[in-house]
Amino acid sequence: MAEDIAIVAFAQTPSYRKYHDSEPSMIMSLVEQIDKEVDIDRYDIDFTIAGSCDYLSGRAFAFIANVDGYGAWPPVYESHVEMDGAWALYEAYVRLQLGDIDTALIVGSGKSSPGKPLEIFPLQTDPYVSAPLGVDPVSAAGLQARALLESGKATERDFAEVVSRSRRDGLSNPYAQVAKDIDADTLLKEPYCASPLRKHDLPPISDGASAMLIARGDKARELCDNPIWIRGIDHRMESHHLGLRDLSDSPSTRIAAKSLGVDPASLDVAELCVRYSPEEIVLRQALQLGDNTRINPSGGPLCGHPVMSTGLTRVVEAARYIRNGDAGRGLAHAASGAALQHNLLCVLEGDS
Amino acid sequence: MFTYRLELTNSCFGSFFPHLGRGLPLRHEGSTKPSKPFDFFGSECVDLALVVAAFVLAEIDQAWDRPGQDPPYLMVHYEPSSKQGAVTMSEFPISFTLEFPYTRTPGPVIGRFLTGLRDGRILGIRSGDRILCPPMEFDPDTCETLALDFVDVGPSGTVENWTWIAEPTSKHPIQEPFAFALVKLDGADTVMTHAVKASGPEAISTGMRVTAQFREERVGAVTDVYFVPEADAEKQSIEPGEGEVEITTHTISLPYTDTLYPHSARFAQGLLDGKFIGQRTRDGTVSFPGKGYDALARVVLTEADDVELPPVGTVLSYTTIAPIQYKGQTETEPYLTAIIILDGAGQTLTPQDIRNIPTDEFRVGMRLRAVFKPAAERDIDNVDNDWMYPSIGNVVDHWESSGEPDCPLDELPESV
Amino acid sequence: MAERCAVIGIGQTDFKTRLDLSMDGLVRWAALEALEDAGLTFDDIDAVVIGKAPDALEGVIMPELSLCDALGAIGKPIHRVHTAGSVGGSTAVSASTMIESGMYNTVLTVAYEKLSDGNFMWALSGGRSGGAGAGGSFAPWIRNYIRRSGAPDDIGCKVAAKDRRNGAKNPHSHVSQADLTPEVVAESPMIWDPIHFLEVCPSSDGAAAMVMTNAEGAKRSIQKPAWVISHAKRTEFGVFPGRDPVIPVAGMECARALYKKAGITDPRRQIDCAELYVPFSWFEPMWLETHLIAQPGEGWKMVETGATEIGGDFPVNMSGGVICSNPIGATGMLRLLEPVNQVRGTAGDYQVEGAKVALGQAFGGPNNYFAMWIVSSEPDPDFS
Repeated sequence: MAEDIAIVAFAQTPSYRKYHDSEPSMIMSLVEQIDKEVDIDRYDIDFTIAGSCDYLSGRAFAFIANVDGYGAWPPVYESHVEMDGAWALYEAYVRLQLGDIDTALIVGSGKSSPGKPLEIFPLQTDPYVSAPLGVDPVSAAGLQARALLESGKATERDFAEVVSRSRRDGLSNPYAQVAKDIDADTLLKEPYCASPLRKHDLPPISDGASAMLIARGDKARELCDNPIWIRGIDHRMESHHLGLRDLSDSPSTRIAAKSLGVDPASLDVAELCVRYSPEEIVLRQALQLGDNTRINPSGGPLCGHPVMSTGLTRVVEAARYIRNGDAGRGLAHAASGAALQHNLLCVLEGDS
Repeated sequence: MFTYRLELTNSCFGSFFPHLGRGLPLRHEGSTKPSKPFDFFGSECVDLALVVAAFVLAEIDQAWDRPGQDPPYLMVHYEPSSKQGAVTMSEFPISFTLEFPYTRTPGPVIGRFLTGLRDGRILGIRSGDRILCPPMEFDPDTCETLALDFVDVGPSGTVENWTWIAEPTSKHPIQEPFAFALVKLDGADTVMTHAVKASGPEAISTGMRVTAQFREERVGAVTDVYFVPEADAEKQSIEPGEGEVEITTHTISLPYTDTLYPHSARFAQGLLDGKFIGQRTRDGTVSFPGKGYDALARVVLTEADDVELPPVGTVLSYTTIAPIQYKGQTETEPYLTAIIILDGAGQTLTPQDIRNIPTDEFRVGMRLRAVFKPAAERDIDNVDNDWMYPSIGNVVDHWESSGEPDCPLDELPESV
Repeated sequence: MAERCAVIGIGQTDFKTRLDLSMDGLVRWAALEALEDAGLTFDDIDAVVIGKAPDALEGVIMPELSLCDALGAIGKPIHRVHTAGSVGGSTAVSASTMIESGMYNTVLTVAYEKLSDGNFMWALSGGRSGGAGAGGSFAPWIRNYIRRSGAPDDIGCKVAAKDRRNGAKNPHSHVSQADLTPEVVAESPMIWDPIHFLEVCPSSDGAAAMVMTNAEGAKRSIQKPAWVISHAKRTEFGVFPGRDPVIPVAGMECARALYKKAGITDPRRQIDCAELYVPFSWFEPMWLETHLIAQPGEGWKMVETGATEIGGDFPVNMSGGVICSNPIGATGMLRLLEPVNQVRGTAGDYQVEGAKVALGQAFGGPNNYFAMWIVSSEPDPDFS
């Protein structure tokens, strides 16, 4: 029987095109915000775990500086994943299952502005036969988009509709970096960049961070009036080789959803890590999401993509939607790798 | 340095901007006044930083009297909770290229594949009933290690999927618009991601036939080959090379550009002025360089916390470095390097080179004074935002004895 | 619901410059050996946890994405830990919590480094000139330790000679020397005063792997299980006024938490042997004090009296330790893996006779990251 674990508090920075101060300073402001909100001393939190990527700033061991942001004196029980903060949340959730500690602080952060993500992220691919070709995430997303078109699962208008809705939703998101009231017809007149993708099908380049405090059952109720319960969290991997995958589908998402017993009819909201507009269509179909589920009310990563916190921010946004009373049950999704290679799902529910 | 304070009247960025665009509520402080309304409606991006930067730049474009130089970078801080924002301009651009020629050992399978490419052949590997190309060391379904049973495939094949890259990056194998495609080579059962050179996106389609073209100069790398439409293929006669490819080199070169953060900029300006500017932390010691925050007290530090430290300190420890050679290392001879703590500082300087005090006279507890270079010779080229390896630039000419007696060893701080 | 975790399979490559292997080949070598040791296959694995030091060492970002096929992780969770030099230890600890959480029955964990693809000195210096290397940072602290403890100058040489001699009994060692004496170490060139060349770890390629399972799985195991009795991790700031990087508080608190959970009150007596992350010989006495095995200022006496030799009352780095092999990302995992080797009695020529309880420790960064565990041949060892 799994332990009941809930999100007690969360915080995020806006997505900045360029945040002109350090990554630890962003983290520090978020942790202080959480500490104040729940009236907890940072050093009374049992476990801390962060997700970040050295290559964004181009410095090996850059993550060590981030410890400044969340504090480590006196010493803390702490760990770090070189993955999106959503995977830090996953490890924290696993750790709290042991039942010997009550609270965990999770941070995801990244500043993409100093480097060139299109040149950096080919290094995520096979170092022998792929990275030297510069196969970048946008190109992989272009291949995924065409797989969708040619399988008949989507049209270019579907991509544009995703962008139009997301960018409109971003207008009411104070953390959004890119937002616009624009219709699909106008978008479809734009030229291609990685055909069949157009520039607006891509996320902006962003700096940003997000953080949250989670706690076990009684502790969660003690710390806040309206805990958001994590009903399950799972993540699954797909083959690294694009040619060994059906790019028009996301079997790893389906495996994770099945293992969590996700019932799409019960989901009021889904915050999906849609970095490229076709990804929403792949995910919607894999998760069998219907009209009852509001998708990406925040506008999603198309409105702000602070790499390494983008996934954790989906959990934050879903939790916010539930806490605001706009939803009872929701799903957050995080992704890593080219063309949705690695997918994480987290099922959230308000206190009923 | 110009600083603007902005008071935002709406917590929602999206609906705030139309007001800003019409020149409506914007309060500010600064040495020039952003007065010109700026039309950003045509812009895809409504990022606060860019809008405000553009807004302020419209003014500064005229006021800024440094012809031939890039306009100063404007930075924006915005706190949604307090609805307060600030725009600051930094005069210290920094850039760095992270570059290394990685030497990859591809192992027995990819090694053979790369050897094939060098020799004008494309090799797949047998895995049960299938031929995998590019070859893998194991069966992708069962994860069983495969026998080294290679099969020639191609050189022609079929495009199964493609995307047209309108603007190649410097990392792409073809420096003009091209396609990335998934190509199933004749005789293979899996597809390879590779580049196809074609006249334009209309010249490529799923199902079309393409043929491998080998480059004139082949080095045993996946970039030795690319594809063209079958009809465009030239007949090639390739001389095989010698031996197996055991190393494939991939030079990774990534540019990073930034500007010094506000506290780093003040620290850097101090160095140019021959001063050590740090930040006073809540425990009374001075963080040098400052970080813009006090990690122990968990508070943000501002310009008001800046203090100047004397250029005098104590040797806590030292060592002689016999430089190890690596790409980018310019030191060749052994040298003395010392751990020095400036008076009043909370932590030591990064190891300081000591080139003019004989090793046998050097000792822990010694009191040293920094002698600055003449102003014109000071540079801060290696100062960046990174506090983990905080450079104090090339501003100190040398360290000399301060003339004071040594600090007794039992009075040295434990922190080294 | 806390389950018990047992290690039922271990694997490691030979450590040297592995020009014969790709990264896929390197991690598979260790993983397949660990699976074979456990009598299992990739099909039996529910989740994979990998660890390695900075991505810049190989120029491969988030390598779980490109290694997942090779590790049989398709359709499964695969997680990647990175906590600087302690990462191999942290990775094993994360993997054991996955078992202890009750969420997974059998977990494969792999840590590796393919240092020969790149250059460690280059990465550590951030690609800039003037990089003094890890030794350049640590040498002043070692000098400080010597001054504070009053240790004789030859303690480091004694540790190095012992480790290199132990390493000669370990077929996986990168560098070792069966007849090395402290005198010969002292005659080797001074690299980072007071560190001699022979007191320094090598730069190795290699991988280490473990298969972990719960009590049910351990019952079916063909291999004698090594039970994880406790584990702990602690981090402190790397730089702040008044910090003591020689005997860091994080290292002391990590040990305290570890012993408390295990029920250990007298570590020197109740623990049979230890593998400590000693990249430069002098770290052995420093860690003995930091981890409360020796009294403050007296760690070097354990070296001087031979207590840390195989056959002494508290053997340290029986495998030869980091001084003999340092595939950075895997190094911490080896420190946690070798105690498993000891308590199940499979350490061959470097076996400590009758070892039942063993300590593994990894550290990273500027002595500010610690990961430790205690394993035992018994699920509930009696420490009375």
